[in-house]
Amino acid sequence: MSKQKLVIILLLLLTVQATSVFAVQRFPKPEFETGYIQPETQVPSPRTEILAVMDVVVLLLSLSVISWIVLKKRSRNGVFLMSVFSLIYFGFYREGCICAIGSIQNITLALFDYNYILPLTVIAFFIIPLVFTLFFGRTFCAGVCPFGAMQDMVAFRPQKLGSRLNAILGMVPYIYLGLAVLYAATGTDFIICRYDPFVGIFRFNASFSMFVFAGILLLSGIFIARPYCRFLCPYGVLLNWVSRFSRRHITITPAECIQCRLCEDSCPYDAIDFPVTSRNPESRQVMVRKLMLICTLIPFLIVAGGWTGIRLHETLAGVNGKVKLARQLLDPATLRIQSEPFEITAYKSSGKSQMQVNEEASVMLKRFYTGGWILGGFIGLMFGVVIAGRMLNIWRTDYVPNKGTCLSCTRCVDYCPVKSDLSKVNT
Amino acid sequence: MKEQKNPASTIRLLRQIAFVSILFAAILCILILVNWFQLQRADPLNTPVLKTTIERLSNNPDDQQLRDQLRTLDLLARKAYFTSQWQICTGGYLLLISILVVVICLKTIDFIQKKIPDLPGAKTDTFWIDRKINRKWVAFTGIGIVLISLVLAFFTHDELGKMLGEENSRQTDTITDQGLTKNGPSSRQNNVSRNSDLLTPVTTGDTNTKPGLQALNDFPTWAEIIENYPSFRGPGGNGVVYQKNIPTNWDGKTGKNIKWKTTVPLPGYNSPVVWNDRVFLSGANETKREVYSFDASTGKILWAARVDKIPGSPEKAPAVNKETGQAAPTLTTDGRRVYAIFANGDLVAFDFDGKLIWARNLGLPANHYGYSSSLMMYRDLLIVQYDQRGSAFVVGLSGKTGETVWKTSRNVKVSWASPVVIHTGKRTELLLAAEPFVAAYNPANGKEFWKLDCISGEVGPSVAYADGIVFSVNDYSKLAAVQIGETPKLLWENSDYLSDVPSPVASDKYVFLLTSYGTAVCYDAKTGAKYWEHDFENTTYASPVLADGKIYAMDKQGIMHIFKADKEFSLVSEPKLGEGSVCTPAMVNGKIFIRGDKNLYCVGK
Repeated sequence: MSKQKLVIILLLLLTVQATSVFAVQRFPKPEFETGYIQPETQVPSPRTEILAVMDVVVLLLSLSVISWIVLKKRSRNGVFLMSVFSLIYFGFYREGCICAIGSIQNITLALFDYNYILPLTVIAFFIIPLVFTLFFGRTFCAGVCPFGAMQDMVAFRPQKLGSRLNAILGMVPYIYLGLAVLYAATGTDFIICRYDPFVGIFRFNASFSMFVFAGILLLSGIFIARPYCRFLCPYGVLLNWVSRFSRRHITITPAECIQCRLCEDSCPYDAIDFPVTSRNPESRQVMVRKLMLICTLIPFLIVAGGWTGIRLHETLAGVNGKVKLARQLLDPATLRIQSEPFEITAYKSSGKSQMQVNEEASVMLKRFYTGGWILGGFIGLMFGVVIAGRMLNIWRTDYVPNKGTCLSCTRCVDYCPVKSDLSKVNT
Repeated sequence: MKEQKNPASTIRLLRQIAFVSILFAAILCILILVNWFQLQRADPLNTPVLKTTIERLSNNPDDQQLRDQLRTLDLLARKAYFTSQWQICTGGYLLLISILVVVICLKTIDFIQKKIPDLPGAKTDTFWIDRKINRKWVAFTGIGIVLISLVLAFFTHDELGKMLGEENSRQTDTITDQGLTKNGPSSRQNNVSRNSDLLTPVTTGDTNTKPGLQALNDFPTWAEIIENYPSFRGPGGNGVVYQKNIPTNWDGKTGKNIKWKTTVPLPGYNSPVVWNDRVFLSGANETKREVYSFDASTGKILWAARVDKIPGSPEKAPAVNKETGQAAPTLTTDGRRVYAIFANGDLVAFDFDGKLIWARNLGLPANHYGYSSSLMMYRDLLIVQYDQRGSAFVVGLSGKTGETVWKTSRNVKVSWASPVVIHTGKRTELLLAAEPFVAAYNPANGKEFWKLDCISGEVGPSVAYADGIVFSVNDYSKLAAVQIGETPKLLWENSDYLSDVPSPVASDKYVFLLTSYGTAVCYDAKTGAKYWEHDFENTTYASPVLADGKIYAMDKQGIMHIFKADKEFSLVSEPKLGEGSVCTPAMVNGKIFIRGDKNLYCVGK
């Protein structure tokens, strides 16, 4: 059996794990007639402070070690081993929570809701990877993020996606980030966590759709390396921005590039920028004019995006609990529903008047109106910036990692025959 | 000398381990899947054995042995379930371990087989062309996202914000109006119906309103409505009951499953409405009009309220057809008050203690057979369809005060049909039928949503609705299926079987029609294809009701024909009441309330 076939079968089998998610308790509680008092549902107590601090310490140590491995040791095996550790600790032991990706939502909610108490651990998990990225590039993605680690392990046959597909799919994280911030800011939902594809595997319990999503990502991850990290991860957007300014970023070659081209196909993430020594066939004057045009158009794109967001604000607000309840109460016929929805039962016991519910929903709709505007404007801005970025003149003589998209996995390093001393070129 | 390891044999070994691991994982998968399917199918607490034991125990509640047996069975079912659950979970862990083994093997193979990369072939420099094309693709993607968003917004936007605003301002206005009522006429009333003195209510009692927000919520939720039977043909007047365990066997003569039977003092063809422990009816003759409240448990008449001395009420009762009578319209209730209307246009609201809250006369209806449209509630609005000769209208009155909140003229002929309130998924529509059209209105403000000319004659049956389709029918006209929307569309029509009194009833798949001469017909709701017809041979005036997957159709002889709401005719039972009936039964909490020619019956186990 070929290795490729083995891998495909393996991942198909992995998705079968989804079945364990149906092992949820769907039994009604026993009905006792003898004065037995049902015990109260026990809520797990929060993680003790010392263990929470330990998580932060482990994160700090992991980032330090991985940065050292990436930048000093330049060892692919080291990165792999670190990934295994992260997968075990942050993935299976910590069950994917807390994670830097989801912390975006906690931070956002804390900014918009003063009643929300933001744990220091969350702040640490949000900031520390960004700080490390500012200094050393995306070493967090390389070997500390358990999501990345899991995908990295199945990237057996990565294929080039082509610059067009990369460009288009590369826009998705901006949208996802915008939506995650909108829903967190309005206190609606933590969608990154709700649709987290891997937590289900770490915890052995999740919804069926969650596992299917994970299965699809892992299966496609055989051929498209790290699809979640590249085309979905909202935290990756922030890391991408910060990494562009990173002080020390991994280089393909430790010394001068000898233009051997061996690294050309080494990056499974299409994150190597090739030398550009040819002149742009379009004249400088034309390009400047086009660039000025797109820069002038950016405000228009923001407005157009904002306008679209406004049009969509009711749809976006549809998942908000308050809006949903108001909508249900407006329907005299939550028709065809034979049993009362939980929301209605909860509403009845809350003692709230319907007008209060309506008012709360109206306030929420207004927030979504503003949020929809900002979300649309942000997406419009990102499209404008990405298009403008592709108009800049470039002159590059060497093969270099793209500081924004490079995940510092060090695969390319292995391909480079140059060692720190040029005289020791592997032949 | 240390022996050199052969990489090829190591690779072969690793491949074999990977293969075995995959095989192991595959077996685990099959076991987990089988277990999972079993779990999915399992409904351990509803096994026949358990059910029978429960039933036996309910018949012999003191049987300790049976009780212990039930507990043992329950425990066994739970154990089996949770063991399966544990097996799946453990299997998941084993699966993960075996997959990890495969990954380790494959990674090690990769490590051993590491090759020096080949020098890539010459590449054409397409950097600038690619960038140019990429710009376009990104731009097109952006445009695509905008278009998709707009399409999504178009299909999902339902003006919720506006609806909430309107709703709140309407409720605020209602409170303001209530405050003004005590001192003078409401400003809203002046605006809406200043042309009609007849529509001025007389507030006679405590309006039962409390100041502040509590008063604003003075109407039932849909969940409360479907727990009861507040109007003609059930919740929303659509002929569909959202309850289960409705009796299918009784005998009025022997008393089998008849919980009680009470004589109704005055005649009337209105059907019972039920709210919690109360059943309401009205009765009238040429000289007297009364509203009755029965105890749903015992059948005792808790109060009987006379309806007289209503300002504007005509001195003499109108001449009506004897098959219509003076009290044909069914009452309605919102759980706070009960509302009744009579053939002379007297409209009253009583609280649950029989105290008159308000009363008014809508004007003597110009109706040659006698007025028979039943009342309907929408939130805190009482809706009255007044399709009379010359000046037909539909009006929405405040349930608390009787004030006119809105009034819409209708250019239709006289009709005897009743309003139906449905929700389309996007909005609530009030559906009315009268020659020449079926029309939908906004029940909150009376504005017309749409209408379609598809009905003619002296319309008696009300419409039925299911899954976006409205079904209207009338004798000498046609059965029409109308797909609703801003531009309604006639989906299909059929004139083979028609009804002049019973209304049709529909499920998502089928529409059931009962003709006045007792033939039941089932059509495909979407296509109009006829599935079956069955002749019950007795004249029928009561409208059929869909409950718990069955149709309950009462004929004039008092025989309830109960058949499955399916595309094949399957008779469930035909219990007899023991006296004639032309009224539609009300079904609540496992009981059926049936008004016979003289008595009100409660059927239940």
